[in-house]
Amino acid sequence: MSPSPELHVVESTDPLAVPRRVALVRPDTRPTVRRGDERYVMTFPHLIVREVILFQAVVIALSLAAIVFDAPLEGIANPIETPNPAKAPWYFLGLQELLHYFPPIVAGVLLPGLVVLLLAVIPYARINLTAGPLWASGGKRTALALAAVTAALFALFAVFGCWPIAVPTLLTAAAMFAARGGARGGRLRRALAQVTLPEWIMTWFVVIATLLTVIGTFFRGPGWAFVWPWSGAI
Amino acid sequence: MSEESERSPNPGAPGTSRRDFLTQIGGGACAVAGVGSLVVTLDYLKPKVLFEPPTVFRAGSAVDYPEGTVRFNREQRAYVIGGGGGVFALSAVCTHLGCITRYLSDEKAIACPCHGSRFDLEGNVVHGPAPRPLPWLEVTADAAGNLVVDSSIIIPHGKVTRA
Amino acid sequence: MADWLRGSAVYRSIVRHGTADTNRNRSLVIFENLFLHVHPVKVREKTLRFSHTYWLGGVTLVSSLVLIATGILLMFYYHPSVPQAYRDMKELNYVVDNGLFLRNLHRWAAHLMVFGAFLHMLRVFYHRAYRPPRQFNWVVGIILLILTLFLSYTGYLLPWDQLAFWGVSVGTNMAKEAPLVGEGIRFLLLGGNVVSENALLRFYVLHCVVLPVALLLFLSVHIWRIRKDGGVQGPPSDVDDPRPEESA
Repeated sequence: MSPSPELHVVESTDPLAVPRRVALVRPDTRPTVRRGDERYVMTFPHLIVREVILFQAVVIALSLAAIVFDAPLEGIANPIETPNPAKAPWYFLGLQELLHYFPPIVAGVLLPGLVVLLLAVIPYARINLTAGPLWASGGKRTALALAAVTAALFALFAVFGCWPIAVPTLLTAAAMFAARGGARGGRLRRALAQVTLPEWIMTWFVVIATLLTVIGTFFRGPGWAFVWPWSGAI
Repeated sequence: MSEESERSPNPGAPGTSRRDFLTQIGGGACAVAGVGSLVVTLDYLKPKVLFEPPTVFRAGSAVDYPEGTVRFNREQRAYVIGGGGGVFALSAVCTHLGCITRYLSDEKAIACPCHGSRFDLEGNVVHGPAPRPLPWLEVTADAAGNLVVDSSIIIPHGKVTRA
Repeated sequence: MADWLRGSAVYRSIVRHGTADTNRNRSLVIFENLFLHVHPVKVREKTLRFSHTYWLGGVTLVSSLVLIATGILLMFYYHPSVPQAYRDMKELNYVVDNGLFLRNLHRWAAHLMVFGAFLHMLRVFYHRAYRPPRQFNWVVGIILLILTLFLSYTGYLLPWDQLAFWGVSVGTNMAKEAPLVGEGIRFLLLGGNVVSENALLRFYVLHCVVLPVALLLFLSVHIWRIRKDGGVQGPPSDVDDPRPEESA
């Protein structure tokens, strides 16, 4: 490959600009743009066949699950007898676990509402469009702000005794600090160094949501007391 | 003046053309009709007669409740308790999220199975997520000492009925 | 036999093009078909890679199709009344041929749909596929996620067993805590002050009519906009990579 001509690339910082590809075709090459992703294939059969395979795979997997595992059915509903513990479907058990720590207005209305609102505005928040790697700008101020926010959040959740949120908060912050200057580190740290602030926040949220759901599903027994899943109290 | 009368043929409403006026009337009518049908629909969805269990029940005689007796009435979701020199009734519905609490006789406590709230025998929260104490229900006694509890009437804490 | 079928006047009136062995006919397969024409005739080869989307949206869509099919079949045996609803569950489980299988399929497909929708959302987030021009489709996706949760939640009450009753009691008591409107919303949702037969009927109507129709509407918008916004969006390197391709 012959050396490329000198080019000055000016990167646009405007996130709303529609990206446009410009190809530089040197005279010693054939005038074809050789970016792999610009290759098009016919939808039929290439995509349609894959869709059919996906459909079949999902249906087969679900059918096998339906043959092997039976859907639960307990005794008829009885308004005077509360089962112990009374559990919601699994995707609400994170919420039910929250109810254990916070007053219902916070855990049942405020926090879920906030989560839905924050999810809905993601594409309209500028930070999600522009954010670069967290530590891109060296970041003494970033480090200070991060430490302050972490301490505040940790204190808030610790006051309520909500360790399933407080501890992951600390761990996430630790991972964020570990990513600092990771560009020269090993593979894992190099990958961490590329993570943006919104991605860190989402990761934090996912870790907490998963942890709360797992605790609520497997580690809660009668009276919503902590049990080990193998103690058979579920 | 001439310029304005050109824009507004109706001298009674300066600055508003006939078209604007009719648009506003039309839009307003649509809004009123929309809000009206929404209100009527919501009202339709609100049941007018409920076949829910009655809230008044008999709880026997006051002599059945010596100090420290706790009786749980399942159907009415209430405890009738002898104490404080008389009888009082507690709702058994947890103030947290409406699970039915249980009386633990060996611990002399009321516990909720759902989220682990605990109450003492006067309904006060001992610990757990419940935001309020269990409400006291009205207990009335006639001359013969027969008790009637109305679970729809909530009375202040500490108001013990003496027969 | 197949050739005779293809040559018949009836077949020719339904499918107007010949066998899909030329690119012309392969295009016609797509744009002469109501259901396939949300697709473009050609797609970028890269979008077919597994790591581009992990097919998570597709998994969610397929499970919703399974849910519609099994749900309609289950409706033939279900009465939304107390205590008949619970008896119908017993009948489905022990008497009706394949009733248990259909009920299981419906239940596990529902779990898969919730799980798939959540993973799909995460995939889109980490691929930053919500960026312009796809902002609105992300919002539609969030609406679909909420509708999915409500569908699953309303369906949870229908067997009218202890699990259902108390799961829904706890959930609707949560709604009561919302300031000002909470009590009213709960009363309207349950058609009463407690979870009763009224609540069962209301949840049934929501689960079988109102929410599925809403879901299909938003689903149509969601899928249509994928096409309008230029196809599925993979990892950020797909568009943003400023480096020139080095391999020839």
